[in-house]
Amino acid sequence: MARTTTPKPARQRDTVDTRPTGPEHAGGDFNARGRAALKDEFLHDSLAMAQTRLAGSRTATLAALPDAPELRERAYAIKQDVIAHLDTYLERLADAVERASGHVHFASDGADAITYISGIVARRGARTIVKSKSMATEEIELNHRLEELHPGLEIVETDLGEWIIQLRGEPPSHIIAPAVHLNRFQVAETFSQVAGEPVPPDVEDLMQFARRRLRQKFLAAEIGISGANFAIAETGTIVMVTNEGNGRLVTSLPPVHIAVVGIEKLLPRVADLSVFLQLLARSGTGQKLTVFTNLITGPRRPGESDGPEEFHLVLLDNGRSQILGTEFDEALYCIRCGACLNVCPVYRQVGGHVYGSTYSGPIGAVITPLLKGDAAAKDLPNASSLCGACWEACPVGIPLHDLLLKLRNRETREGLAGRDQSLLFAGFAQAMAHPAAYRLGAAAGRIAQAPFISAGSIRRAPRPADRWTGTRDLPPIAGASFRDRWKEGI
Amino acid sequence: MADREQFLAHVRERIQSSGARPHEHYQPTVAPDSVWTPSRPRPPVWEPSADELPERFLAELRALSGTGARVADETAARDYIIELARHKRATLLVRWGDEPTDALGVDAPLAAAGTRVAVWGRDADARALCATADLGLSSAEYAVAETGSLVLVTSPERGRAVTLLPPAYVAVVPVARLVPRVADVIAHYAQAGPLPASLCFHTGPSRSADIEQSLAIGVHAPGEIHVLLVG
Repeated sequence: MARTTTPKPARQRDTVDTRPTGPEHAGGDFNARGRAALKDEFLHDSLAMAQTRLAGSRTATLAALPDAPELRERAYAIKQDVIAHLDTYLERLADAVERASGHVHFASDGADAITYISGIVARRGARTIVKSKSMATEEIELNHRLEELHPGLEIVETDLGEWIIQLRGEPPSHIIAPAVHLNRFQVAETFSQVAGEPVPPDVEDLMQFARRRLRQKFLAAEIGISGANFAIAETGTIVMVTNEGNGRLVTSLPPVHIAVVGIEKLLPRVADLSVFLQLLARSGTGQKLTVFTNLITGPRRPGESDGPEEFHLVLLDNGRSQILGTEFDEALYCIRCGACLNVCPVYRQVGGHVYGSTYSGPIGAVITPLLKGDAAAKDLPNASSLCGACWEACPVGIPLHDLLLKLRNRETREGLAGRDQSLLFAGFAQAMAHPAAYRLGAAAGRIAQAPFISAGSIRRAPRPADRWTGTRDLPPIAGASFRDRWKEGI
Repeated sequence: MADREQFLAHVRERIQSSGARPHEHYQPTVAPDSVWTPSRPRPPVWEPSADELPERFLAELRALSGTGARVADETAARDYIIELARHKRATLLVRWGDEPTDALGVDAPLAAAGTRVAVWGRDADARALCATADLGLSSAEYAVAETGSLVLVTSPERGRAVTLLPPAYVAVVPVARLVPRVADVIAHYAQAGPLPASLCFHTGPSRSADIEQSLAIGVHAPGEIHVLLVG
């Protein structure tokens, strides 16, 4: 069969909505977004299916690994060492990248990283940038800022799901399945607009359209920007895993490759990959290995005719160093596999957009307030049942439920919890500490609650208890207390 | 712009900051999830003999919708490639110019069958031709039985685009280059000195589940992969 695509250097620009999609731009507050998401039936079905599929195959492939418990212990120990000696490993990494003829830039924040990248765009006269696999650039809103700084510059996300949501001007809704909230009819509508003619709502047709369109962008691009799953201090190697192959194209075809990597992504040695590669894909998708696992060390070597001529590693802090040396430092052990999203009962109900953040699900609820401050994300640590399923699933053993609780505690210390909530819990603490007050309170509550009970629970209570019933049902106080029943021999 | 020394000093200061509060760390394997529980029934450790490796590799590759075959020698591999090119009515094949791929001797028979061959590292336009080629052909450093992966490294004769851009791709690997596990390959390169510019585990056809979680094959990289194990 002859090939079906005729790639040609493309200069036409696809309609891309580049409105920033960070938390501060998401509509409404957490509760308002949550209420809207709860009404979206397709989203529900889709999330339930994704969780069942991904978490199911995760458990099956990990169970087939004889030494999974030991790998998890080792992964935790390696990350603990990396974070405890991050300065040393960062220095080693930077030296190794430079030995491999790459450039290193330490970026304190998003603005710093953008200035550096913008300098490369200007120097190379770039008109098209292809991107792959980078939550870090999403975090710093790189696309939007670069397009502001360089009118006419086109930045194309090349992961199929990422491209779809980029065309629609939406943020990702899952770490590894960014367009999980969309159906094929919505995708077909978006592609048809880009194509200027109808693209049928058939998965194969949609995929072929994306392949043709994105192939033109890969061939035209002057710069490829990626993230990384790991950066290896010993050799200056960055490791990227992808299934579609876009990650390998972005880092192989354009003459310049820029990797934007959070400083916590370090591993000391190449040998450590045997631990993390065994855990990463199994935990994320239940694959033993993703289709492409790329180890990239510097630019192309003398005599080679593909691979980038220039390799830049941008090491991004952007709030991460503030987590070092605190009781939250285990949050920096995360390898972004998405396993915690796939088991979270809250994520299952509302999906990723409700979190209003680049990172969603349990790890998003932990990392967002740590990176952006509690005031910017105070609802997130509270959006958890603290069931601990996230901690159980985590291949690095991050105690996510514990960190969520510590974050709630920090919010209260910072006075972010609100007066009503503080009042409510102060009263609760008094009652729990004094048996007489507890009995009195329970008796009073039994009488006072009567008008508010409907269908066995309290759905709407007056202040200050409305802080609770605004988002949850409250079980009523039982008619006879356990103590009374105990006295009567139950 | 952050100065490197300043940046590292700041990180150092944070790690050692007086604000650091020692906290009790969880033991990762006390999580109740069965897969992490040390006392769970463990599947036996796979200790394959050399004979088992080709079969396991081919089974894993087929499970990923790849095509694989064990062939007796390089002549049989060459015949497979020529037949594939004929079947696909391929007008252009790009291949690596390394010694093992040269040794297959596909160029003349393919030309005779109407398929033009471009050789990476030798033909100046090989890179540009990858974008329009019907078939890519390469060798591989290793093949991993446990996962059905090819291990591809770069050099002047071994370009990435050959294995990435054509819609169909063939790799030829001697049986002696089969290893049981990914960890074996990592352990080798951890000892082997400087890494090549690119080292890639290429595991089956390109896949995506981004539209309605339906599997789509070949979204960016080859959707059709043939691995020939020689020997």
